[in-house]
Amino acid sequence: MVTAINDDMFSGAAIEDPYAYYGQIRSEDPVHWNEKYNLWVLTRYEDVVWCTRHNELFSSAVFKNDHRDPYPQIDESDMGLYDDVRKFFASWFIQHDRPVHMDMRRVLHGYFTPKAMEQWRPMVKSVIKDLLDEADEQGEMDIMRDFATPLPLFVIAQMMGMPYEDRKFIRVLAEKLLFIGRGDIGRMKPLHDGIYELIDYLSPVVEERIKHPEDDFISVLADGERRGIYTREQVVSNAILLLLAGHETTINLICNGSLAFMQHPDQWRLLKEDQGDVVPPLINRATEECLRFDPPVKSIQRIAVEDVELGGKLIRKNDRVRWFISGANRDPEQFENPNTFDINRWPNAHVGFGSGIHHCLGATLARLEGQEAFKALAERYDTLNLKTKQFDYQPSITFRSLKALPVSLN
Amino acid sequence: MAGKLQVSIDLNVCVGNAMCPHLAGKTFDLDDNRQGHVIDPNADTRENVMEAAEACPVSAITVVDTESGEQLFP
Repeated sequence: MVTAINDDMFSGAAIEDPYAYYGQIRSEDPVHWNEKYNLWVLTRYEDVVWCTRHNELFSSAVFKNDHRDPYPQIDESDMGLYDDVRKFFASWFIQHDRPVHMDMRRVLHGYFTPKAMEQWRPMVKSVIKDLLDEADEQGEMDIMRDFATPLPLFVIAQMMGMPYEDRKFIRVLAEKLLFIGRGDIGRMKPLHDGIYELIDYLSPVVEERIKHPEDDFISVLADGERRGIYTREQVVSNAILLLLAGHETTINLICNGSLAFMQHPDQWRLLKEDQGDVVPPLINRATEECLRFDPPVKSIQRIAVEDVELGGKLIRKNDRVRWFISGANRDPEQFENPNTFDINRWPNAHVGFGSGIHHCLGATLARLEGQEAFKALAERYDTLNLKTKQFDYQPSITFRSLKALPVSLN
Repeated sequence: MAGKLQVSIDLNVCVGNAMCPHLAGKTFDLDDNRQGHVIDPNADTRENVMEAAEACPVSAITVVDTESGEQLFP
């Protein structure tokens, strides 16, 4: 029977070690009703895959259809801001269900295919080289600040056709949107500011790309408007989605993966000694294992469309359902030695990118950036020495994100 | 003239993104696990099948020309 599960997902312990926290829930109550936040917490691999693949039962239109107050609670005086925030997020294509979701995603899908993304590999390699050359001059770096953050940001700015000089400014604005997954009672203000500042910044760019399309993804979205699939507001808001999703997640893949290597020097050695004789290549397997072992995205939310029986429990229509990748990726029923970081693990059907119709659109790009980042680190450095034993994570239930990762370089 | 196609889906890799039945609905549908399933590799046009293979976000679909033996995708 259920022992004392602490339902505070934002507690220090749950944030610091989601694997222990969600692991306990997975073994004791895999379809768990979280009394504190009024939602179902799913942590079993099989359940997460089943739910993601049965999208007709679990609606993604969460912001549109969940009329409950936000959790954790916010100031009563910020409820007006929350209304605006809800409308904004509801316009994202990921917040839509079939059939509209297919139309919206299809506009972007061709831009992000594996074949199309492969063309970015040389540019990614070149940016990595520049960033690590700079770090080498210092003999040390904060992987989060100096490598994991600027790389995806630079790439996504290029993909949006934004000027290089603007990328730090874009990041400052985008960081405000990260409050969506956090528990701060005052989070609506920075969230609201971030949204409207980004809308102000991108709206003239969108106007320009409607008139003079280029080969960036804002132009692709603008074409979606021309074809009557996106409204103008949706072009701007989905550009913001791609900006945010396109870098925050990858930042965390690179940083979390780097930490995994540093904490498992035997795996680091294996990567360094790679002779290139396995298929798929060891660097690909290693990147997948980073995605499985310490995934950048912790959880995803849905709303039940109808009553659903799962694991002997009854999920009711309109119930919030949140599934935890952090739990599913360490499920012993799916993965042998799930808590072992093993870069040779193959097949590795993790759910770091989700599954089903909403499977991450940017997965190929994330994989490409991750592979090149870990490969470059392994080629350049004999060891990366952690300069801290203390790891502070952002208090988010959406992202697994280190605040800093200082290392000295050898 | 080009040969017929042989199409296979790696179920270890397929995530059920379900673009393939949308783009080549006579060739692909979903199985009970909601993963891709080949009904008939030659039911749709070669173009549509190739488009579906290219659209797969995880490159789970392999397309081979049976006459030449050439792997057309990936």
